[in-house]
Amino acid sequence: MAEYISGVVALSLIYVIATVGLAIFTGFTGLFSLGHAAFFAIGAYTAAILTYFYDVNFWLALMAGGAMSGLVGVIIGYPTLKAKLRSDYFAIATLGFGETVRVLLENLEITQGARGLPGIAVETTLSMVVGITVLVMWIARNFVCSRHGRAAIAVREDFVAAEMMGINLFRVRLRSLVFSAVCGGIAGGLFAHYVSFIQPSMFTSVLSTQLTASVVAGGMGSITGPIIAAIIFVALPEMLRVANIWRLVGYGLLLVLIMLFRPQGLYGYRELSFNSCRSLLNWLTLSAWRNGGKT
Amino acid sequence: MSVLELISVTKKFGGIVACRDVSLSIASGQIMGLIGPNGAGKTTIFNLITGVYGVTEGTISFNKEVISGLRPDQIVHRGIARTFQNIRLFRNLSVLENVCIAVDSRETYSLGATLLRLPQVSKKEREIREQAREYLSIVGLADKADVRSDALSYGLQRKLEIARALALKPKLLLLDEPAAGMNPEESLELAKLIRRIHGHYGLTILLIDHHMDVVMDLCEKIFVLNFGVKLAFGMAEEIQNNLDVLTAYLGEGYKHAIR
Amino acid sequence: MFIQTLVTGLAIGGIYALMAVGYSLVFSILNFSNFAYGSIIMLGAYMGYFAMTEIGMPIGVAIVLSIVGSAALCFLNEKLAYSTLRKRKASSLYFMISAMGTAIFLENLVYATIGSRFYAFPQVLTQLNLEFMDISIGVLDVFAILFSFLAILTLHYFLQTSKIGIAIRAASYDMQVCELNGVNITKLIGWVFILAGALAGISGMFLGMKYMVYPTMGWITNKAYIAAVIGGLGSLPGAVTGGLILGVLETFVSAYVSSVVRDAFSFTLLVVLLMVLPTGLFGKFLEEKV
Repeated sequence: MAEYISGVVALSLIYVIATVGLAIFTGFTGLFSLGHAAFFAIGAYTAAILTYFYDVNFWLALMAGGAMSGLVGVIIGYPTLKAKLRSDYFAIATLGFGETVRVLLENLEITQGARGLPGIAVETTLSMVVGITVLVMWIARNFVCSRHGRAAIAVREDFVAAEMMGINLFRVRLRSLVFSAVCGGIAGGLFAHYVSFIQPSMFTSVLSTQLTASVVAGGMGSITGPIIAAIIFVALPEMLRVANIWRLVGYGLLLVLIMLFRPQGLYGYRELSFNSCRSLLNWLTLSAWRNGGKT
Repeated sequence: MSVLELISVTKKFGGIVACRDVSLSIASGQIMGLIGPNGAGKTTIFNLITGVYGVTEGTISFNKEVISGLRPDQIVHRGIARTFQNIRLFRNLSVLENVCIAVDSRETYSLGATLLRLPQVSKKEREIREQAREYLSIVGLADKADVRSDALSYGLQRKLEIARALALKPKLLLLDEPAAGMNPEESLELAKLIRRIHGHYGLTILLIDHHMDVVMDLCEKIFVLNFGVKLAFGMAEEIQNNLDVLTAYLGEGYKHAIR
Repeated sequence: MFIQTLVTGLAIGGIYALMAVGYSLVFSILNFSNFAYGSIIMLGAYMGYFAMTEIGMPIGVAIVLSIVGSAALCFLNEKLAYSTLRKRKASSLYFMISAMGTAIFLENLVYATIGSRFYAFPQVLTQLNLEFMDISIGVLDVFAILFSFLAILTLHYFLQTSKIGIAIRAASYDMQVCELNGVNITKLIGWVFILAGALAGISGMFLGMKYMVYPTMGWITNKAYIAAVIGGLGSLPGAVTGGLILGVLETFVSAYVSSVVRDAFSFTLLVVLLMVLPTGLFGKFLEEKV
């Protein structure tokens, strides 16, 4: 029983890592990536191929997976963000991208196609996942509470005014995309070395939908909200033994209902702004301790 | 020495000509007024200078460098800042944070330092906040630093926009109707503020406004725009007495009335 | 082979054109991409299929039923998922998410209830071929071309002459002014969705007949978006042109290169176009007033 629970927790946290990445991207750009499962898949396959076929050290493989996803993020992000696509066109482009990646995975030699890769070494442990989740959140916090985070928030608040502040919109958006891609990639690598067997059908729009739903339900513009939503979306169906298909029916309905009745989701815009920075900074910086908690 | 030059600038939106063949030159340290009836194309000129719109024909140069065709953020880094006709503050952020974002353009630290929270980040952040507070004191908003920017009164919001523009350390400042919605007392105060920052920072200023008292008080030279075309250009007194200008503002009937 | 490919391309192009017009109608009025449109098309196909197989209706009646049913569903979709957002003046991002949610809900509902089986229409028209000069052309393709042409012509006539049609055209330029002139916007939007739904029904039927009926067939509307972009966002003639061009190009790529590459080609075309020619062939000029 304990093993079962720790399994659910580990899996939840793996999705949380990917969700945090997507939340940062959507929270800062207002754009939706509907093909985010692709980054998860790229990270999973890259890491798995390296450890399985080439005996590469797990940690190196994991980082390579993240790096590969990041690279693909740049390749996808460059044309789509440079063209300043409006949110629905960007979404369609990412959808196409997600599908293309899946088709590629099904047809390339090295990924063994639709059969998938069995027998991947199980390296991921619960403590590892917890550690990486905390690390990712720490890095995300650092980003938000800095001049880079300020620039990203400005872009989200009013991109016309942000440009007038000397902010390069394209660079800010691309950065967010690459960060979210790397998060997805690392989560994917952890996933592959946890479930030990991966195949393309695991990384379909079902996963993208789950990630998207987590961000919307949690609140676009927040980190904590999507984290909570992600955990609920993994844990609840597990506990209720709900079949995959009905899960999706639920996500679809949930998205519409949230838009109609509570568009800000759980946490709304509260977090990705400075108020949260000040209170957290107080704990993280020594000088604040000296000043008794005042900035 | 001319700081900003527009040479035969034309802007078309499909079939609509927003401005046609506009040529304008501002000398260093000048305060120039850009006036004209509503819809004359004044804000369009600002948008063209700052790169929000691209020119259809003609060129715009700043300090002898052609800037028409550059991105807005590139133009900002070259030393041009503006305020907006419809206030565009970052509403959900505090007064201080709004100015910090502007200061960021001049005080930088790397992304790597940010992600790993290296010690220089805290140090730089402190410097950025200090600088931002200085700009707030100049416009008299120092005590409102932590207030949400959209909680300020209209007049104070306009002042915040000016502080934010100043924090970009520009050489040329474009003010789009800074006195809009102000009563005479507030406009007077604003004029004093503008004069103060003009002297203190050695700025060149291009000012759009409908409050003629403010315009005539501050501006040495005035450029009049009507229907996207240059109507008149000259010293304040000349413009005040220019028949065409008066007709444009007061209507054709004015010409007949004068006769 | 060339003529054959061309005819098939035009048939597909005709269907794409129908979808693109339906999509552009909604886009030009409400300024958002109705992601749920694909699921309406899918439901239209299912309706027609079950009308023919379970109830035994002849094909003509099935098509009419599909048109009416899809129009109704599309109208309902707007009332339930979008009208609240419109009244709240929500940004188009929220519309998009609501549309997405609707699509996911409907697709998976069909998956969960009816099942993932692929259904093939009874071989009434699907297998008939016209043979002449060594070339074999599917009768279905010819019908698809004719029907699409007829439907678009009817729509065009409707938009040019009827009161509602003119109101729709006016609203696509400026909805606020339209309202100020006394147009009942709610009724107008209802009509737009009914029209779009009708087009969806026809598209669904022909897609189902040409290919197969299955829950995720609605994703083909991605092609509609691409077609609309080629022709220019918000332009109806553009949507038709874009649809035809895309259909023909795609079919040629599929025939002469490979069918796997086909979808990748279309998406790449989309991204390239959005970078190089975002207003498309006939698009309206859109620059934001600052």
